[in-house]
Amino acid sequence: MGFNEYWSTNVAELSFPLPDLGEGLIEATVLEWLVAVGDQVERNQPLVEVETTKSSLELPSPQAGKVLRVNGEPGETINVGDELIVFEVADDSAGIVGTVPQDTAPKRRVRLSANLDED
Amino acid sequence: MSNLSATIEPTGHAAPASEDAMDTVTRTGSETLSMNKAINAALADVLAENPRALVLGEDVGQLGGVFRITDGLQKRFGAERVFDTPLAESGILGMSVGLAMAGYHPIPEVQFDGFTYPAINQIVTQMARMNFRTRGALPMPITLRIPSFGGIQSPELHSESLEYIFAHVAGLKVVSPSSPHQAYHLMRHAATRPDPVVFMEPKSRYWQKDTVDFDDPGTLEGSVVVRPGRHLTLVAWGGMVARCLQVAELAAEDGIDVEVLDLRWLKPIDAAGLAASVSKTRRAVVVHEAPRSAGLGAEVAQTITEACFGTLKAPVERVTGFDVPFPSGSLEAEYLPNIDRILYGIQRVLEYQRG
Repeated sequence: MGFNEYWSTNVAELSFPLPDLGEGLIEATVLEWLVAVGDQVERNQPLVEVETTKSSLELPSPQAGKVLRVNGEPGETINVGDELIVFEVADDSAGIVGTVPQDTAPKRRVRLSANLDED
Repeated sequence: MSNLSATIEPTGHAAPASEDAMDTVTRTGSETLSMNKAINAALADVLAENPRALVLGEDVGQLGGVFRITDGLQKRFGAERVFDTPLAESGILGMSVGLAMAGYHPIPEVQFDGFTYPAINQIVTQMARMNFRTRGALPMPITLRIPSFGGIQSPELHSESLEYIFAHVAGLKVVSPSSPHQAYHLMRHAATRPDPVVFMEPKSRYWQKDTVDFDDPGTLEGSVVVRPGRHLTLVAWGGMVARCLQVAELAAEDGIDVEVLDLRWLKPIDAAGLAASVSKTRRAVVVHEAPRSAGLGAEVAQTITEACFGTLKAPVERVTGFDVPFPSGSLEAEYLPNIDRILYGIQRVLEYQRG
């Protein structure tokens, strides 16, 4: 990965695979996508309605981010563990540990007072 | 490895063979760079100019470093000159000592400040004193890069201020840049020294961009005044310089004209630069991240006092970390000198009454 690809965008892709929606289910069928590519979604916002052999249900978003890709047309079956949706999230991680500090406007509580007449 | 083994000499005096002569670096004008890119550029130029220069460390080769400082260097200069090492800092520094004895200029990276502790033995008992021990027969041209200080909310042992040790070790030079411009030129400079230089990179400043003037490095030795002022001198280094510049702007709102002196070289300390600044302002506050007791702030304060005792308006004030291990995560905000603590330090100096 080149320097520019790594740093200039300051975003990262985060893939969310289809979870096991019951006990030992291996797949689910997409009924309807409730978000589209490009949407900015919030955490817990319903993403997609899917049907399993047990029930149909809405999957909430595990996190906030911009939708980069979705996998599966309505009627299509996806295996548990396969990529369901990919988010673009802000990458504020500093290397492998820590966070990139942001330059913010300084806040103060202390004010200075001095008699500098003698100077 | 044929290239390397062919050029190893038994002593440290071997000059680069002429057939080794490589690119001449021509960077001109100025460019806006982040500090990590500025150091990357400096390392590339050092490697291009000096065929004896080598870059080694954990993940510096294929990965390009966890902070991207060595990104692309292995691809450009080859895995014989830019190479990954085992996860063993004593080995990285021990190998560097041996390479320096063989005539190379190793530029080892210790991935995080706190990982330097396992290498202290090699640094203190070999690297720092080999030149002294051999009466100059084996100089140690080693530029030891260490991502340093706090400010990125990292886990334990990733935020140490090692000048509290290394500025005290005879035989070492210690420098810390505070801006991309300083980082580029100080690295170029440090990598031409015949002595071991500990190059402390303030990791909290890696990503901020600023202008690097390739044509005019400015002075490379000693301290620099980064903001002139009349009433008080703030002395800082590394990541604290930017914070002190913010404080100086806030102090100006209250009519206090603060000079900010970037100490840069933490060993040797620029006594003349400190004296020149404080003899003008007559007040000084020194700021650092390391714990206070036996920290470099005490040395700075005493250096100022020796030169300016007669004209000082108040004892030199210290605003520092606390005498505790550096706390990890968001707790670091409670530990690091913040704007208000520095302003309090200034106020204590301003209101000091003699007698």
